Amino acid sequence: MKLKNNIKYISAFIMTVLLMVSLITPAYAQKKLQKSPGGYHGELDFPISWKRYYSYAEWTKIMHDIQKKYPHLSAIQSIGKSRMGRNLYLITITAKSTGKHQNKPAMWVDGAIHGNEVNGISCSLYLMWYLLTRYDYDKYVYDLVNECTFYILPGLNVDANESFVKFPNTPNNPREPYRPEDNDGDGLYDEDRTEDVDGDGELSVMYIEDPKGEYKLSPDERRFIRISDMKEKGLRFRRIGSEGYDNDGDGMINEDDIGGPDPNRNFPYGWNLQAGNPYPMSESECRNVFEFQLAHPNIFASFHYHNTGRLIMFQAPPAVSARSQTPEQRQRMQDMLNQRLEEMRKTNKYAQLFDRQVAPEYQHDMDTQIEIVTMGARILKNYRPTIGGLSGQAHAATYYMLGAYSYLMELWGSPAFDADEDGDGRVSDVEYLKWIDVELTGEGWIMPHKYNHPDLGEIWIGGSRKKHTQRTPPARYIEMEALKNAQFVMYCASQFPKVELDEVTVTPATQDLFWVEVAVKNDRVFPTASDRSVALKRAVKDKITFNSSNNISLVNIPEGVTTVDPLNNMARYETITEKGNEFRLKGKQTLRFCALVKMKGSKGWVEFNVKSKNGGEAKRRVNIRVK
Amino acid sequence: MKFQSFKLFRLAFVLGISSFLLFIPFSSFAAQKVSINFNDYHGYTGTVKYIKNVAKAFPNITKLVEIGKSTMKRPIYVLVISNMKTGTTIDSHVKLRNMRKEGVKNVPPMKPYQGKPGHWICGSTHGNEYTGTEVCLYIIDKLVSGYGSDPDIKRLIDAQTFYICPVVNPDGLYNSIEKGISQRQNSMKRDDDGDGRINEDGLNDLNRDGHITQFRYKDPKGRYVIDDVDPRLMVRLGRGEKAKKQLYSVIREDKDDDGDGKRGEDSERGIDLNRNFPEGWFTDSGFAGGQGDYPTSSPEIHAIAEFFTNHRNILMAQNYHTSGGFTYRPMGTAPPTSLHPKDVAVFDRIMGKKYLELIGEDVPEAWKETGSLDKFKEELKKESKNKYAIARGYELPRGWRASYNETRDRRYGYGMASDWMYFQYGIYATTTELWNPQKDIKDFPQFTGRDARVKRDRALLKYQDEKYRGKLFVPWKKFKHPELGDGEIGGWIPKYRGNALPGEPLLGVCEKHWQFERFRAELQPEIVISDAKAQVLYTTNSANQAAVSQEGDQVTIKKGKSKGKYKIVEITTTIENKGKLATHIARGAQLSGNREDIVWLIGDRDKITFLQGTPFQKLGVIDGTMKIPSYSGRGAPAPSRQQQMRRMPRFIPPGFPMRRMRGQRFQPTQVTQGGSKRKVKWLIAVEGNTPLKIVVTSQKGGTKVKNLSIK
Repeated sequence: MKLKNNIKYISAFIMTVLLMVSLITPAYAQKKLQKSPGGYHGELDFPISWKRYYSYAEWTKIMHDIQKKYPHLSAIQSIGKSRMGRNLYLITITAKSTGKHQNKPAMWVDGAIHGNEVNGISCSLYLMWYLLTRYDYDKYVYDLVNECTFYILPGLNVDANESFVKFPNTPNNPREPYRPEDNDGDGLYDEDRTEDVDGDGELSVMYIEDPKGEYKLSPDERRFIRISDMKEKGLRFRRIGSEGYDNDGDGMINEDDIGGPDPNRNFPYGWNLQAGNPYPMSESECRNVFEFQLAHPNIFASFHYHNTGRLIMFQAPPAVSARSQTPEQRQRMQDMLNQRLEEMRKTNKYAQLFDRQVAPEYQHDMDTQIEIVTMGARILKNYRPTIGGLSGQAHAATYYMLGAYSYLMELWGSPAFDADEDGDGRVSDVEYLKWIDVELTGEGWIMPHKYNHPDLGEIWIGGSRKKHTQRTPPARYIEMEALKNAQFVMYCASQFPKVELDEVTVTPATQDLFWVEVAVKNDRVFPTASDRSVALKRAVKDKITFNSSNNISLVNIPEGVTTVDPLNNMARYETITEKGNEFRLKGKQTLRFCALVKMKGSKGWVEFNVKSKNGGEAKRRVNIRVK
Repeated sequence: MKFQSFKLFRLAFVLGISSFLLFIPFSSFAAQKVSINFNDYHGYTGTVKYIKNVAKAFPNITKLVEIGKSTMKRPIYVLVISNMKTGTTIDSHVKLRNMRKEGVKNVPPMKPYQGKPGHWICGSTHGNEYTGTEVCLYIIDKLVSGYGSDPDIKRLIDAQTFYICPVVNPDGLYNSIEKGISQRQNSMKRDDDGDGRINEDGLNDLNRDGHITQFRYKDPKGRYVIDDVDPRLMVRLGRGEKAKKQLYSVIREDKDDDGDGKRGEDSERGIDLNRNFPEGWFTDSGFAGGQGDYPTSSPEIHAIAEFFTNHRNILMAQNYHTSGGFTYRPMGTAPPTSLHPKDVAVFDRIMGKKYLELIGEDVPEAWKETGSLDKFKEELKKESKNKYAIARGYELPRGWRASYNETRDRRYGYGMASDWMYFQYGIYATTTELWNPQKDIKDFPQFTGRDARVKRDRALLKYQDEKYRGKLFVPWKKFKHPELGDGEIGGWIPKYRGNALPGEPLLGVCEKHWQFERFRAELQPEIVISDAKAQVLYTTNSANQAAVSQEGDQVTIKKGKSKGKYKIVEITTTIENKGKLATHIARGAQLSGNREDIVWLIGDRDKITFLQGTPFQKLGVIDGTMKIPSYSGRGAPAPSRQQQMRRMPRFIPPGFPMRRMRGQRFQPTQVTQGGSKRKVKWLIAVEGNTPLKIVVTSQKGGTKVKNLSIK
């Protein structure tokens, strides 16, 4: 108000604005920068074969060895123990020279929460290896490791992981941690497990010859197929089930295998007794993970590796209930959505849209997630983004209870190599066998063979897939799968928020008064805090503060939005206050601030500091000289 | 501290609590008696010392188990009371063979006492509500010292298992009693004020008299005045109430330890443990309603959840709190419709009725009716707005209630113990708020009206003057507070507030609640094999000839002609629940982790072929002998489809061929369903001779074995 009274036209000022940009120069300079994609990127600095699966002893040794080679970039800790006493080793990757890991926004990556989905271990290890070996050679990796932290837990369910890798198993077992469970209600726990009866190192299916059986051998004698005509003569079989013995003598085989609750139904958010019994976080593996995540509020996003299906299951904000909608209205909505998607895909074939209405306070999270998974679909090619489930799943807890953006990756999938020759949308057994014959050069199938079972007499075993064919990729494809998944994780980390200050502009107002203006921006996809973390009151606000030489002081003008130039509606600024202004920067957002300052004398400086928990810090200073 | 112990002994005698004081040495147990008195609270240290002594003195009927540790690394103990020489579990009878070579040993053997109905009793979930700990100790004393003298108690300890956890929250209790800092919550190593230091500013014993009492100082903005009648008493003014007298502020003894201008802002206090259980922990909108970072986040509740998971035999549970002198039965977080009507009937009409009688309150008229409650429902329709009461036929009385607000249809609290125990584990769980001075102190004057609170406080002060020689109250003395200046320190020693006063009143509370738990123990189911027979029908050389055909109930056995090496044996048994209640509550059998009662027929596998019946057979839930008042429906609802699917073995071979009996399919065992009895029949072919045994096992009704000889 003072301003209005003192308005005079002053032309005597000639401004010289000197910018002193404080560039952050990392102490650790990039040593062997390589700019040609065909060049050497460090992979032989620490060679690892990605053509096989590793046992627990092997992959933990790899972790420790690589950490010893890159101690300035990584640290290993055990975050607790599994039920059977194995250490859960977590590797923290960040450049120690650029700050402590807990002060940088972090990416959480875990693998193989389901025991048999050991592809997650490979992908986690691959990411670790990629980041560490390329740091010196690759500018992109260098920046990521300097600016963010990666917490990588390659194996989450290590007991079952170990069993799956080292012992005869089907592609589907064992999945769960080893809490004793009475599956058949006979009062005994885990008493009737699977066994490799014929000792061939594979767990297959048992059939018994039976003139009334429902199966016969296929013409190529590789499979047991159902009989359509029950009057058919010839060798017929009855299916007994998975390979094993009747351990407890109750007449049933393998009816109470090892494994308790599904660990990915054991997390607290959306937990239910039926799926996640006996109680939330009952499994030490899950509890250790969640306790670690709680203790590290810098975790900004998380990846959880599963097999199989080639899905990007991202956690979306809660849906606004559409109870009032009639089925017709829903259908119309769906049609509109499809139409829009079709339109969008004309320019980007990876464009994504989802049938989910969210509350306004969650819209930014929804938009952010859509943008991220659209890029995910682009990077991963044949992966399909979809909205993830809630019931006690790890990625539900990370988003809904911690406010971190979360993604469950279903790695790999059987439609992988377009084996579906007749294009009916599914890979039939015949097509599958052809894939095994051609691409897997015959590996991966258990041929039916006779065996003398101690309880059952002469039986047949075989006619099924080996592990690492269906759920987990054959070893030769591990790296292919791991590379593009690492690229997606790194893309997400590269979009972690980063606050920047644009040039400060100084405009004379009247006499000794100046307008000082600055823009704060975040060019990344992610906001400085998720909508959910705001709702959870876990978000720390970003803050801009004003500092100046002693002869410069802030002139108090009413708080709120100021229009500096009444003729320019776009120039809307928030006025800086003495104690600083708090805000949240959304993804790809710029906020403008201004201050009216008063300067005594002819020389001085003003400085803006912006501080964001996840977006880092930035500083701009200008020197003002009046001539 | 000791109070007039002689006088108390005399009083106790008069009250008829003398049974344990005058206990006459009777058996070998008597010599090992561990003495205990209730003249003061035991605290954590005293409690642990006592239960350790009991465990040492009674190794045959007790076992001390550490189930976890608190934040401050104090052990949480459960004293198991059960005859360690009786009881068996199914895993010790079934021999396993051809096990997977990997040999993962993840299943520990079960303990014999897990094969008996279990009864959980715990106290001090809230650290400053230790009356419950004393009641636990009293019950322990009654049980172990009664084993040698009271045949009823002996029967209970032989056939059942008591899991008594006197201190759920060791840190809260330790701080409340040993340190004198009343602490409801557990302890947590948490930086409450965000100054980078942990637990640096708690309460302080300013005058170093060993108690953290109160500091009062003159303050024109204060809300307290000195009572006209008893100047020791500080009376809090009501909202908007004005007084013409000197105003005071009253705070707990405390100073600003870390110099941040705040007092007691970063103490050891953690979370309310009775809000850390998994049931109803979230709000409807998906945010934390309960306390802690997630359900079972505290080490104490984690330990209890794990214990309950591994002790599926628990059917009764009691959680002691203070105060009020009433009992909560479930639910608090969900409307009454979430309870099965049969469970409601057992809770209210059987347990509730007994409880009201014990605390001397009127039993609702409707509870005296054993038939239909329709006429009560009609009456309620006219006078009550509580739709749940109308549907049920009665309003819940003061002394026996549910914490759910029925009239407003609103939940109470989040993540509470008894809700969780009932709803997720299928347990008759209750939460008792012990201690109501007006009822539990003999001849204590009754006050009503606006001044009732002040009058009761005056009377309590007078009572402690007379009975405890004024030792429960520290007289106000001048003290100069480092920040607040002149004032006085004094007031009730906090540990005597809100809890049953030691000595006679506490003994009275203990006795009532021991009687209640004893009554509940008498309701426990008890599975017995009342009859078992093995009869050789004939012998044959070919097992195939013993094929059986069945049409409905009619079984035709194709007899072999000559005498042969196979005995065809018919085995019949009658299994009975001799206890009063069914082997599961109505909600129970449907729950994850719970299972139906089952019976095994076990012999030498290589010599037995099952012709009819399977080696183990499900019996459903076996009812008890007690008629449930006004409940006419069938027992438990059928398991849900999902539940049944979960129970399905992973690979059921359709018609599994046994060795030497290929082509023969298993016939279902003949089980006569319903009521408190099950009749089971098998038909087996035995090659040569084999010992046979029938093992019936019920998760909550016990496990029993009967050896058979083939005649």
